[in-house]
Amino acid sequence: MSFRMDPRAKLYLLLLANLMLFFHVGTGAEAAATALFLLLFFLSGRVRSGIRLSILYFGLLAIDLYVVPRAGEGLLLNLLSLVSVGIRMMLPCIITGAYAFSTTTMGELTSALRKMHVPESVIIPCAVVVRFFPTVSEDYRHIRNAMALRGIAEGKAALLLHPMQSLEYILMPLLMNGNNVAQDLSVAALTKGIGLPGSHTCMTELHLTVWNFVYPVLCTLPLLWKGVMLP
Amino acid sequence: MNQASKKLTIPDLISIGVFTAIYFVLVAVATFACALLPGVGNILLPAVAALICGSVYMLLAAKLQKFGGITIMGLVMGLFFFVSGHFVLSFMANIVCGVLADLVAKMSNYRSKKGLLASYVVFSYGLTGPILPLWFMKDAYIANLTARGKDAAYINTLFAPINSGSFVVSMAAILVCALLGGIFGQKMMKKHFEKAGIVA
Repeated sequence: MSFRMDPRAKLYLLLLANLMLFFHVGTGAEAAATALFLLLFFLSGRVRSGIRLSILYFGLLAIDLYVVPRAGEGLLLNLLSLVSVGIRMMLPCIITGAYAFSTTTMGELTSALRKMHVPESVIIPCAVVVRFFPTVSEDYRHIRNAMALRGIAEGKAALLLHPMQSLEYILMPLLMNGNNVAQDLSVAALTKGIGLPGSHTCMTELHLTVWNFVYPVLCTLPLLWKGVMLP
Repeated sequence: MNQASKKLTIPDLISIGVFTAIYFVLVAVATFACALLPGVGNILLPAVAALICGSVYMLLAAKLQKFGGITIMGLVMGLFFFVSGHFVLSFMANIVCGVLADLVAKMSNYRSKKGLLASYVVFSYGLTGPILPLWFMKDAYIANLTARGKDAAYINTLFAPINSGSFVVSMAAILVCALLGGIFGQKMMKKHFEKAGIVA
């Protein structure tokens, strides 16, 4: 069985990745923590994206370690190291974000937010946003088909020729439909009792297991190690 | 929908969710558009996003006309920025700008065009969150290089594009683009939605 992490633990990891960026921990500590983040992908069965991100991160790390001492005054090599370090420092955040995004189901997220006592007025829009993303891409395809049928902006590059027109012709139907979907969803959700007072139950029950504490602590260690060493 | 109610109802919350999703998608489009411009692209991201998101914001504001809607939109935006791996500051920036924009719009009771325009400009500054690390990370990178024995003057020339000057340019670009985007949005509202009777 693949390892499922509690969304609250994921939020903590995200915070941790941000703190690492903020406090500029050394390269070693950053690499250790990132390796732990990457391990999560393999544990949860997302081997392919895990491998892809690992290659990206450690590739950039290798470039950094190899090129920067040799860069000298050459502009090209310096630019290369600038890009590699710049992207690499953002990567821990992006890796944890990708992990949190791709492995959390809607039910888990709602359940976790409720347990964190986030007000219902924030949970509902969050749930709707996630639910609505696929609808946007579907609508976009329909709109483009309809436009092509009328002979407007056929093909990809044509959109860029008249940016204002494209914006209007694509965004307005999207908004109109969004407006309708909002009404439909409201009716559906109210029928299912979303507006009832009192606390709501969730289909997904979350339990904080031991691993949900052990793993975040493990990931914190590199940060602490550097924090103790520096002052 | 119950127009008399001053509090946000469930349908309001669902509308906020739907429009926030569209807003978020547009910001993502802006991000890809900016990624095509090498180097300076990222700095202009909030400005480009402000340019194209105006109509979403105007429609939401006109539909709700209640205090709290814009705040929640900012909050949810911030949450999704955070979860999708952006810097934690983008969370803060979105919330602060969301509340401020809501207050500005409330002063004109969500009716006056100028008031809504001003509030949209304020809201657009919430998008600076994702690019703020550019100015933070610069210090980190310089520290990293200096620690390896690089000449400080040389490093400074390397970072010429990312300085306080470009910061001012980026902020000014947001102002101009948000104004243009907001006016465009209001025009679109008038042309499409008021005629169709979707908003008053």
